[in-house]
Parts: sequence; structure tokens; C-alpha cells
Amino acid sequence: MAKSDDCIHILQGLLVFGNVVIGMCGIALTAECIYFVSNPHDLYPLLKATENNDIYAAAWIGIFVGLALFALSILGIIGVIKASRTLLLVYIILMLITFAFEMASCITAATHRDSLTPSLFLKQMLERYQKSEPANDSDNEVTKTWDELMLQNHCCGVLGPSDWQEYTSAFHLTHSDADYPWPRQCCVLDAQGLPINLDGCKLGVPGYYNSNGCYDAISGPLNTHAWGVAWFGFAILCWTFCVLLGTMFYWSGIEY
Amino acid sequence: TMLPLLLLLLPAARAIVELPDRPALTQTPPLEGLTTASTFVLDQPRCVFENYSNAVIWLVVALDKATSTFNNTARPGTSETAFQRFPASVSAYMTLNATLANYPCRKPAGDITVLRVGSETSCAQDEARPTCNGPLPGPGPYQVKFLALEGSEPVAETAWSEPITLRTAKSPSTIPTTDSGHSAGMIAITTILSILFAILLAGLVAMLVFWDSDSCGGSSTFSKPESVTVRRYTPHHVYDQPAARL
Repeated sequence: MAKSDDCIHILQGLLVFGNVVIGMCGIALTAECIYFVSNPHDLYPLLKATENNDIYAAAWIGIFVGLALFALSILGIIGVIKASRTLLLVYIILMLITFAFEMASCITAATHRDSLTPSLFLKQMLERYQKSEPANDSDNEVTKTWDELMLQNHCCGVLGPSDWQEYTSAFHLTHSDADYPWPRQCCVLDAQGLPINLDGCKLGVPGYYNSNGCYDAISGPLNTHAWGVAWFGFAILCWTFCVLLGTMFYWSGIEY
Repeated sequence: TMLPLLLLLLPAARAIVELPDRPALTQTPPLEGLTTASTFVLDQPRCVFENYSNAVIWLVVALDKATSTFNNTARPGTSETAFQRFPASVSAYMTLNATLANYPCRKPAGDITVLRVGSETSCAQDEARPTCNGPLPGPGPYQVKFLALEGSEPVAETAWSEPITLRTAKSPSTIPTTDSGHSAGMIAITTILSILFAILLAGLVAMLVFWDSDSCGGSSTFSKPESVTVRRYTPHHVYDQPAARL
């Protein structure tokens, strides 16, 4: 029996180690999701306006799943050391429920990231930016977010200033095309917030206006957010899968 | 007979000079706003009207089908060439008057010398300003030429430009926002996680079904740390059965 005692101890050691890693990853997942939910890049109003902020829902689920993983990993360690069938059965069932929630969060984050295309933001910008009769608060938020985005990132439109020329927009209903081929925020501004050369900006002379689009500035943080939640969650789940299989094997070997 | 001869000579003396230059959209530097929905940008007519230092140079903007009917004797600032009546009542208007002093031949390097047609929005509705350089009312196509007038007599003109068509904006509802397809990462995550979850559920079911029996690791069941062992004790009989039959 000495040999199987060693096997038992090795298995117990592996399971405890596996649970420790799960606990730490749970804390890391919670921290990461709290960071994303705190909206560090101020893009939340744009997502809310698309009525498609499931990426944030995925992050919220991630927070609670992370805490659950931490708590369950402690339960697992206790169950493995005490070799208690009941505790380990409870642990396995609760872990499966947590696994299901985390799976939902990863798939949601990945799917909804795919749906945030440049066309979606372009349509939203053209229809809502500087809308003269804002239907609700979200239109004002969209305008403010776009203004800040264009000022801070020195960009114009989604794909470029030509967005404003290729399509009609709510902006051009109140601002004539001759005076405002594109919004003033697309001009290079001086320290007081005035265009350094208004005629140059209106003509589109290189150096007096921002010629690149803002889509990169939007998609960068969104990609980090979505893939951070999705891939880190996926990695945790793969590890959890292995630990759970080991626990099931251990459980079935405990003397009844 | 002198009178008809004089009449023949007079038109010849007053023929206007047709310069070979042709107004064109600005090519250098490349401009993002070269044509918008209601404006376009032309190169200034530098080194074109050098012999006409007394003339006032006007820009004539016409619908391209009206270029043949435009009369050079039309006078600027009248209702026949008023911007506000274009294109409903008149098919061409005159605007952007300047003298040769505005277009010196030597172009200073680094400066951009252009004319933006359509930039004055304040006088677009003001009938008192018929020479307003107002925003063009439609996508065109338009053709332009420069006309030099001394007093009210035309003395020189350039050729008509190539037809200029402005941009037409589409409605944003034409932007497709339907499903753009799924990325490879999302498909990988979904399939792999589904398979893992299915395996775990199968494992759980197997665990519960085989609760009481020994599983595949049955021969190596291990005991709990503080288990009580019971030894079987065979009692030693004092009396045998055959002795009772005596």
C-alpha cells in the first residue's frame, strides 16, 4: 500500500496546487474585469448607444466568477485534504456551475466584439453626432464622446474626414457644407482651442486638419477589453477542466 | 456704302481674345476638400492675363449644358448673372472679381494660391449681392471660365474648363450593419469550451452513476486518515458438539 499511498499523496498535492492556481487566477480575473468595467477609455457611451454593450455584461459576470473561483478553490483544498466525499461533490457541482457562467462570459465577449464593426460606429456617428434635437441623453453623450475622441487622438470621423462628405449626417443638417465640410474638431487646434488656419482646414490642406480616422483609437481599447476577458477566461477554464477531472478521479477513489 | 463697311470693321476691332488657358481644379498640393457637396477649388489664373492690367477678371460659373449659350456681353452685378437666381432663372453667374494685382505672375513658393468657389454663405440669399460667391446648389456638372472686362467690354477670356462634378452624399441608412461574420478566435473559444463542458458533465454523470461501486481505480481505494480498523475475532469454543451427545 505504500506505493498507492505515494500516488494518493501526489494526487492530493497536484489537486491542492491546481486549486491554488485557480484561486489566484480568480482574483486576477476579478481585478481585470473591474478595470474594464471602470471604463478607462471613456468609450462606454458609444457602446451604450449601439444598444450592444454586452461586452460590459461579460466583464461584470467575470467579476463574480472570479470571486466564486477563489472561494471554491479554498473549498476544494479543504475537501482534498480531508478526503471528504460530500465536500468534494459540492465542490464539483458548484465548479461546474461557475464553469458554465464563465463560458457564457467568454463567448459573449468574443461574439459581441465581432459585431462592433467600423460601419456600426460610422452609422451611429452620422446619425447622432451633434443631432439638433437630441432624442435622449445618449445623443448628447455620443456628441461629447466623439468630441473628446477627436480632440485627444487628433483624428476625424471613423475612417477619415471623407466620411462627412460621402454621407449626409445630422451634423450637416445644422451646419452648412460650405462652412463646415467636417466638424471644427477635425482641424488642428491651437492652445486656445481655435483652428490654427480655418481656411486651410476647410480646404483640407495637409497639416491643418486631421486626416486619419478614429477607428483605431476605438478598436484598440475594445480589442484589449474583449480579448482580455475572453482569452484569459478561456485559459482559466482549460486549467479548471484539468483540475476538475483530477478531482472527479480522486473522488471516485475515496473509500465510501 | 461707307456705312456698311464701317459696321463690318467695328466688330472686328472689338473681338475678344481667346486665351488658350483652361481653368482647372487644383492638383498641387492634394486637398481633401477639393470638391465637396457645394464647393470646389480652382487654381488662380496666374500668368494668364498679363496684358490686361486695366481689366477686372471675373469668374463665370455655368451649368455645363449652358456654356454654348453664354453671352460674353452679359454684365456682372445684374439680374442676368446674379448668383441668387442660379440655376432656376439664369444658367450662369459671375463672381469672384479681381484685378491683375491679385494674381501676380510670380507665385511665392510655399503659398497656396487657390480660389474656393462656393465659400461665401452669408450672402447666398441676399439679392442685393448678385456677385456673391455662394455655395453651389447641386452636384452639377459645372463649367467655369475667366472673363476679363475693361469697363463693361469683354477683352479676354479663357477656355471653358472640363466639366466639374461635385460630390453627392448618400444617406447613412445605406450603410450595412448586418452580421459581419465571426472571427476565428470566437469560433475556437466556443467549440473548445463546449467540448470541455460536455466532458465534465459526462464525468459528473459517471461519478454519480457509479457512486457505490468501485470505479476504474477500485483496486487502489485508499483509506481516510483517521479510520477505525476492526479485526475479525474468531471465538474459541470450549465445548465440542460430540461431547454433548454422550
